[in-house]
Formats: sequence, C-alpha cells, structure tokens
Amino acid sequence: MDKKNNKPKAFWLLRIFGGKWQFLTIPLLSILFSLIAISIIVLLIGKNPLTTLTSLLQGSGWLPKATYAAHKNMFTDFTEFLDAMTPMLFASLAVIVAFKAGLFNIGVSGQMLLAGFMATIFIGYSSLPSALAWPLVILVGIVMGAIVGGFTGFLKYRFNINEVVTSIMLNYIIQYVVSFFINTRYVDAVSRQSRAINPAARLTIVNFEANDLRFRIPLCFVVAILAAFLIYLLFSKSRQGYEIKAVGLNPKAAKYAGISVGKNILLGMTLSGALAGLAGVTYYLGYYNTIQPNTLASMGFDSIAVALLGNSHPLGAIFSSTLIVTLTKGSTYMSSIVGVRQEIASLITGMILLFSACRAYIKYKVDLKLSTSQAKGSERGKV
Amino acid sequence: MAKNIIEFRNVTKRFPGVVANDNISFSIKEGEIFALLGENGAGKSTLMSMLFGLYQPDEGEIYVRGKLEHIDSPAKAASLDIGMVHQHFKLVSNYTVTENIILGIEPIKRNLGFLPAVDINKANAKIEELSKTYGLEVKPTSVIKNLKVSEQQRVEILKMLYRQAEILIFDEPTAVLTPQEIDYLLEIIRNLRDKGKTIILITHKLEEIKRVAERCAVLNRGRLMGILDVATTSTKEMARMMVGHDINWEIEKKPAKFGETVLRVSNLTVENEEKLKVVKNVSFEVHRGEIFAIAGVAGNGQVDLADAIAGLAKATEGTVTLLGKDITHAHVRERNTLGLSYVPEDRHNVGLILDFTLTDNLVMKNYFKPPFCKGSILQKQQCYAYANQLIERFDIRAANGGDTLVRSMSGGNQQKAIIAREISENSDFIMFVQPTRGLDIGAITAIREKMIEERDNGKAVLLISLDLDEIMSCADTIGVIYNGELLRIAEASKISKNEVGEYMMGVKTDG
Repeated sequence: MDKKNNKPKAFWLLRIFGGKWQFLTIPLLSILFSLIAISIIVLLIGKNPLTTLTSLLQGSGWLPKATYAAHKNMFTDFTEFLDAMTPMLFASLAVIVAFKAGLFNIGVSGQMLLAGFMATIFIGYSSLPSALAWPLVILVGIVMGAIVGGFTGFLKYRFNINEVVTSIMLNYIIQYVVSFFINTRYVDAVSRQSRAINPAARLTIVNFEANDLRFRIPLCFVVAILAAFLIYLLFSKSRQGYEIKAVGLNPKAAKYAGISVGKNILLGMTLSGALAGLAGVTYYLGYYNTIQPNTLASMGFDSIAVALLGNSHPLGAIFSSTLIVTLTKGSTYMSSIVGVRQEIASLITGMILLFSACRAYIKYKVDLKLSTSQAKGSERGKV
Repeated sequence: MAKNIIEFRNVTKRFPGVVANDNISFSIKEGEIFALLGENGAGKSTLMSMLFGLYQPDEGEIYVRGKLEHIDSPAKAASLDIGMVHQHFKLVSNYTVTENIILGIEPIKRNLGFLPAVDINKANAKIEELSKTYGLEVKPTSVIKNLKVSEQQRVEILKMLYRQAEILIFDEPTAVLTPQEIDYLLEIIRNLRDKGKTIILITHKLEEIKRVAERCAVLNRGRLMGILDVATTSTKEMARMMVGHDINWEIEKKPAKFGETVLRVSNLTVENEEKLKVVKNVSFEVHRGEIFAIAGVAGNGQVDLADAIAGLAKATEGTVTLLGKDITHAHVRERNTLGLSYVPEDRHNVGLILDFTLTDNLVMKNYFKPPFCKGSILQKQQCYAYANQLIERFDIRAANGGDTLVRSMSGGNQQKAIIAREISENSDFIMFVQPTRGLDIGAITAIREKMIEERDNGKAVLLISLDLDEIMSCADTIGVIYNGELLRIAEASKISKNEVGEYMMGVKTDG
C-alpha cells in the first residue's frame, strides 16, 4: 500500500466495523471491551481473569468442569441452562414487540406473575394428566398475559395514559394481590412460598433419566425459539407487522397513511403481554414450581436489557439472552471455584450493557471516519 | 476603500458523504450588504454556521477584522460582534419581547441597595430606543406568541442589536414573509447598513439580492463560483452561475379547462386542541382541471384546513364532499381509496416514516392491497418493483435504491418520494401543502410542472402555499385565508399579487 495516500492507518479496522457485517461486529466489539474491563477488575481483586471467565462458561454447561456430581455432566448442565434461558427469551421478545409498537413494556414482571399465578391455581394444583395440563398451562399463561398487556394498551389508546405509568402500577397491584392470595390460601407452611405444583403440569421435566444421567428438559425451549422466528417473520413479512412498525416509528405518519393507530397499539401491547405470559408460566411452572410472594421476578426487568443488547431484534434476542443467562447461570459455580463474589457476574452483565450502550457512538464514529476518508480518497482521485 | 471585516481563507468543511464547503476564499468589507447566493445544499448555511461558531472548518482559516480567530462557539462569535437571525426563530413564545432580548445578559439592579433583580424598565427603555433608531417597530412588552411572524423576526434583529452586533447574518429572512413585509424588511436592512453595520444575506431569491446587495458570492455544490458586482450583473447571469446551467423561469401553462366538481367544502369549521376555532366557516369547490390555490401567512389555519379535508383533524361543523360522497367523518383510508392524495406540509413527521426504507415509504398508501399484499403477507418483490418504477420515473436519488433509509436522503429527494407516491395513487383530488418549501430551483420547477401536468390530466388540485410567487405562477383560482377565514376567492387572472398580499395581512376585507 502506498504510504502517502490519505487512508487512515487502521483502514482495515474501519472496513470490519463499517461494512455490512456491522450489526455483528460492533456488538462483538462491545462485548470484547467489557471483557477487557472486567479482566482488569478481577486482576485488581487479585484473581485470575481467565479462570473467572471460563468458570462462568463451565457453570452454564458450555465447557466441561473438572468434576461432576453423580448423574451430572456437561450436557445436563447445558439443559439446565436452556431451562433458565427459556423464560428470558420469551420476556425479551415481549419487550421487543412493545418496542416495535413504540411502547415501553416495563410491566413484564407483573404480567409474568399474574400468568404464573393463574396457571398455578387453575392447572398447577389440579390433577390433570400432562397431555392436558401442558397445553392448558400455556393457554392460561398466554391469555392472562394478553389481558394485562391489552389492558395497558387499551388505556393508552382510549385515554392516552402513558403505558409506563400503567404497567408500573399494575406491577404493584398484581404483586400485592397475588401475594395476598398466596399468603392466605396457597402458602406452604415450611417454605413460605406457594405450594409446589403437580409435577405433571410442570413445563420442565426434572430428573429425566437416561444413560445414568439426570436431565432437566425445558419443554418450551423450542417454542421460545419458534416464537422468536415467528415474531421476526411478523415484522419482516406481514401486513400487520408493517402497520405495527409504522405506528411505532411515527404515529402521525401512520395515521396519515390510513393505518389505525389505536388498534395497532392495542394489538402490539396484547401480543407483548401474551409473550410475557409465556415467560411467566415457563418461569413459575417450569424453571421453578412455586411462587415466592411479595417479589417480582427480576427477569422481567433484565429482559429489557436483553432486548436492547439484542438490538431489539427478535433473532438478536436469542443471542443476547444466551449471553446474559450464561453469565447469571454460571455465577454460582464461578464464585465457588474462583472465590470471587457471585455479584461479579452482575458486574460483567452491567459492563456488557454499558459498552453496548456505546454502540451507537462507535457506529457514528466509524461511519464518520469511513465517509470522510472516502470523500478524501475520491477528491484525491479527481485532482 | 473600506477594509475587510471578514475573510475566509481556503475554508473546507466535510460532512459524511459530502464536501459542504470546498476550499472557499473571499472577504467581506465593512459596512456593505453582502449576499450569499446558492441553491439548497450549496453550502451557504454551513459557511455561515462556521462564522457563527456552530461548526469548525476542517481546513482553512477565518479572519475577523484582520485577525485569525478560532470561532468555536456562538458565544465566541458574539464576543466578536457577530449576530445571526436564523431561519427558524429562536424565541421563547410565552415571554415578552424584552424578556427574550435580554435573556442571558439581563441588566441587574439592586433593590434596597442589595437585593438583585432584573431591571426590566431599563431594558424596555433601551429596546424602545433601539427600535426607534433602526425603524424596527415592535412593542417591548408584547408577548411573542401574539406577534406576527414578521414582528418576531424584528425581535430577532433587535436581539442582535441589543448585543451590539456589528456583523449581522440573515439566513433566508424573507422565506415566510408577504411582499409588503419583504419591502419593509429590505428597508430595515438598508437602514442598518447606513448606520454602519455589515450585513450578510443568505438567500436564493435573486430579486432581493438585486434590490439591496452590493456584492454577492455564488456557491454551487460547496464550491465558490465567483463574486459578483450586483449592480452590473443580470439576474439571469446570477441564476446561471447558481444552478450551473440555464434555467427556464416561466412555467408553461395551458389555459384551464374546468370539469365537474371533485371536492366541495361547505361551511367547514375546525377547532384545534385548545378548542379554538382555527378554520372558520370555509366554503369552496375544486373542479377537474383546476388548480385552486390558498394563499396566506403561516399559521392562519391552512394546515388545519388540509388536515380536516384529509381526515387527520376533526371537522366541528360543515361538510366535506369528495366525488359526490360525504366524507366529513370518513376514516382516512376510506378517503384515500375513494380518491384523495395529500402531500402534507410536514414531510418528516407526517409525510414519511424516516426510519423506514424508501420502498416501505413508497408503498405506504397501498401496501394493504393486491398485488402488494396477498392474504396478510406482504409481497416484497412487488413492492420493490413498484418502488423502482417510481424511483426511475420521478428521478428520486437514493444511495441504495429502494433499500435506502429515508432519513439519510436529502430533503429534495424526500419530497420527491412523497410526491411520487401521492401522484402515482392516481387520485382524482390531490392536495399539495407547501410542496416546494426549502427545495432548490431545479426541484421547485419540476414539482410545479408536475402539479400543472396533473391538472391537465383532469385532476382537481388544491395548492396551499406560503410562497406567493408559487401561487401566482400555478393557480387558476386563488383563495386567500386570513385568521381561519377565506376572505376572498378570485380567478387568478383577475387579482394582482399586491392585492393578494393585502388580503393575506387582513388589511383588505371587502370583496
């Protein structure tokens, strides 16, 4: 290469981050930055960053551990990881669908809780066989979530009440009402949580034995992946998706084009609620089998971060929920092996989010650099 | 000979994808009216923004009063006595004139010798005096939102004078004014020059330059084409230099052949969100083969009228009939499919979804119909094909064709996209609101020709514009709106430009 030409030194770098793979390379770059930052912190504590990070992967079943308990191996760890990831994926899809409609669904936790609670008392405590119980649990979850989400959307469209306010208030209402009923009617005297549900109704098969191994099988994992693809198709191929996106990006222009703004807000929020409901049943009647009163699942809020990390793209959510759940799931093992506190995992999550929030800035810088260097290049060509 | 007060030396400024100013050098003399002429996107505003400290040049230097200066903020510019009247006024609408002018540099008095307070009386007196000296009539105690556009502009000028600016930059100051107001403003500008100020006038209106400026720099696509002595150069020459080729000023227009009535608006009244009547008892008809133009100063109910016809605002009283069908309360889509197209004033917030691709924007009015949609699945191939057809037919320039994000396109091409979409709907009634605002001469002519072409195709066209030249050159019938009322409807050939201007200001009220 001619040294005298005007290309910046790291032109190949610009190519990587400015080209059509930008949507992939920039998030990877921000993850890399956060790993470097976290390594520095771990070093400052006086631990080995490499073992810290690998132990996270070992804990969530991506890498083999040194030793395993009876009936366990890397594969059983991995299915456990998938079990935790299932509700997270649903929850982040719920957030994404609302984003597309221009709404911020901060009520995922409440929607999850109500869906989980209703499914628990109606189906979880019944003695229905699995073949009946499973579809009914899912159905109740979808319906309850859709009702709460739809109600939020209705208030927005009918009375123009901000959905953030409504859903935060609904979070509290649901939390306290559900806790009241659990404490007065469904409480387990020992654990102080709701009584465990009938195993036949649980969406995760625990202790599935094969080859002398005991697996957890999350039945809805495939459904969650399928849902991500369906949402993707909805927004990329369907008329309805086009309308929801139009309303989300510019309600005035949507109205001008003859799209019914209210209907699509209602629809987007209902769909978002339904997905949150699915997250609720796979969380309270899958990953767990009880409900702890007086608490909202933090997953409902984490899912907002996961959705953003996945660039608010349904398929991106598959990757971002994989990443975040890997960190949370692996943190117990990490703290026992490396001897750093479990909270380090949350710190890593925070770092990743922090750096991915800088993504727009990196993109802006790269695009600017790239275009000015091209402009200079072409000018030079002319003279 | 007067000395140079400002000098640009080899100034270059780049933005992603464009060179906004390319190696520009010229100087401005103290006490002259210097015009900066160029089409939109020629780099006039960028150049002045660098002088005003909003941008810094990538290369080159700016000298003020013979001294090299790094103007890195508007505050720095102000300290060099440079002031700017922006195209979009920067005023607090519920403050008084005085409060706006003194904002940031309030004169302080001490009550009882120590309690600090704004000395509003002193400020009022000073502004009163300034406005008398320069002939800028405005009452210091009136609230901005009650003032007319031209008065608000005077407040902006006073703001600069109050800050003792010596170099005054005017960015497209006449864009929103009536002919009479323009005369008045040019008089003010001359007056300011006579009092020793240096004026820089950014404009693309040749006539104004001819009337007030002494010298004029012509920019074209970021390059300085030349410095002209206004007195010895014809407007034709200036125009050629600005556009880069000869242009045809006169729009060819065949005599109108009116057909049946397409749109009938009777006794229409519209209220805004504060329940104020913004359109009052308006009635008119638009026929096939007619361009009905509504003239008026901004904010006299034009947009509300258009929105009510299009279904974006509710009509409180009266009826709107399209092709014999009462559509007063019809849904927007019903109107659109019946035969209504609408080029709205606000391109960015109403006419387009900026974060959609060009294709998605071009099918915005018919994505739900076959062949663009089968069942509930969008037929992307059909959409692309249709978009490509429009891109070619209307010469829409976009970097990645149909996949370009509309946000990244230039204003002119965004407007072309809207016009392409609306005209291709083949509606019997097309409404254009401010269709050429902020566009360059090439695009303006193309759009006006398109409107006339549609008229000749037997469409009914409603044109709502603030630009009186546009109305005079296109309209077959002219209606003048003032304060929500249609004061006068007349055949275009039977009403003069000045008469329209008088109605626009509400001076004349009788038929």
